[in-house]
Amino acid sequence: MKTYERAFWPFLLPALLVYTLLFVAPSLFGIWVSFTRWSGPGSEMAWRGLDNYVALLHNEVFATAFTNTFVMAIVGGALIFGFTFLSMVVLRQLKGRAFIRAVVFLPMVISIIAIGAAVGFLLNPEGAVNTVLEWSGLDPQPWLGPEMVFRCIVGGLVWSSTGFYVALMMSAADAIPAHVYEDAQLIGATKWEQFRHITLPLTWDVFAVSAVLWVVGSLKIFDIVLAFTTAGTAAAPPIPARTIAVQQFIVVKGAGLPDLGSAAAMGVMTLLVTAVLIVLTRRITRRDRVELS
Amino acid sequence: MRRLIGDILLPRATAVALWAWVAFNLALIAWVGIQSLKESGEVWLNPFALPETPRWDNFSSAWQAAEFSAAAMNSVVLTLFGSVLIVAVSAPAAYVLARSSRRVAGPAVNYFAIGLSIPIQTILVPIVVIKLSVYTFMEDWVTGWWDNRITLLVFQVALSVPFAVFVLTGYMRSLPHEIEEAAEIDGAGPLRAFVQVIMPVARPGLTTVFVLNVMGLWNETLLALLIAPLPEERNLPAALLGLYSSMQYSSDWGGMFAGIVILVYPMIVLYIWLGRRIVDGMTAGISR
Repeated sequence: MKTYERAFWPFLLPALLVYTLLFVAPSLFGIWVSFTRWSGPGSEMAWRGLDNYVALLHNEVFATAFTNTFVMAIVGGALIFGFTFLSMVVLRQLKGRAFIRAVVFLPMVISIIAIGAAVGFLLNPEGAVNTVLEWSGLDPQPWLGPEMVFRCIVGGLVWSSTGFYVALMMSAADAIPAHVYEDAQLIGATKWEQFRHITLPLTWDVFAVSAVLWVVGSLKIFDIVLAFTTAGTAAAPPIPARTIAVQQFIVVKGAGLPDLGSAAAMGVMTLLVTAVLIVLTRRITRRDRVELS
Repeated sequence: MRRLIGDILLPRATAVALWAWVAFNLALIAWVGIQSLKESGEVWLNPFALPETPRWDNFSSAWQAAEFSAAAMNSVVLTLFGSVLIVAVSAPAAYVLARSSRRVAGPAVNYFAIGLSIPIQTILVPIVVIKLSVYTFMEDWVTGWWDNRITLLVFQVALSVPFAVFVLTGYMRSLPHEIEEAAEIDGAGPLRAFVQVIMPVARPGLTTVFVLNVMGLWNETLLALLIAPLPEERNLPAALLGLYSSMQYSSDWGGMFAGIVILVYPMIVLYIWLGRRIVDGMTAGISR
């Protein structure tokens, strides 16, 4: 009998147990808590049915957090993939393309908290960006104030995430043989047309996966909001900038007895929205597979 | 017209934008380094000038004042232990899942894949509850003490296992089948065969997954703030956030930039060293 058949269960069990006991089981417990009123171990747990969910639907702060998360997913996603597609038009032939791909990926390996602290310094009311604006005769802006910070966060998100999708899509585009493009050039296709009719159709599968990845990732956005709203003070992020994850964190860690039932309900709602969005994204990106004959 | 837009305007504008983006990334990283060597007043007044005299003591003051030494230690230990544990738990599982012809292998891979799309919010409340209960339970009944950093380590590992198993299973499938034969002839037990024969062959894939986890755990923020938020137990991102949020009172801007450098530069060095492999690992594991 082969080694891997003999060792099947002993090799599989540690991972299976860790994952089941510390990830799957807690998730199920979280679903249970979402139907109760509870403020943690030691306090009494009372069944509430769907009341937590109903209350959340009528909660304006949560509605804002929910909308914000959604806007980030849609607007951020449109910008990220827009830039990714544009990069793909030129990155195949551009001089220094390997270097460009390496450097635009860089934000992926850097802590977003560090980026927030550094960029927050520049965007401060009296920071360098406003100094430059004033100097050139423009009005300084309250970049990190409650009205504008959300747009700055989306900008930061697009800046830090696009490189990853460029890398992902370009690794698929690399596999397209050069002669296809040579033929296209012979019949006079422009670079944009080459992208539109060759690169995009042939990398569509990877785009479908990328879109799902982005959707799943965008619903968990947390760090970047803290990074951009901390700006020198320890106060909680302003409501217009909160995402679901941030709002949940505030409820769990906030002062007084935490409403864990409500926080758990937020988690379950995120799970449901994730599932719905995955199905939707799959449906939108579904297409007949294009293959080179 | 079509030529003008599709062949000249659009590609040229994109190329310029890409280079501007590259310049911005490089400038930002260099600028953070330069700022970290300035005196706090200089940081504010001349943010784009070179330091008058390099102030290396920003690092020693950040190291001491903001408890960055403890945070750096926590980060190093949590990151290294965590990444080793993740690979140690995931690699054997991925190996048997990739090779076995048992009927449970396919569903088991899918079961791990589900973990990739469960958002962390679903498990946020349970984690807090478990953290509190474990602390009380261990302190009252078992050891008489407990350290939240252990809880953090355990959850970091548990939440990273699905991705590691998923990527490594794909990788192990691509390995040639002949490698086991050497082990069979050798007559070694499964564990020895795995450590001595399979792991050396699978080393590139294992290294990639290890490094990806190093980067993920090093930058971990949400779990760290949730499980181990106290000054002596927090990791570097949490410590930097703490330092940043007290800037209004302390105004130690030089120290803050030193903190940013301590958090960011190790990962950049790692990226320069292993860059291609990191990008390939992240992208290959996902597009499979």
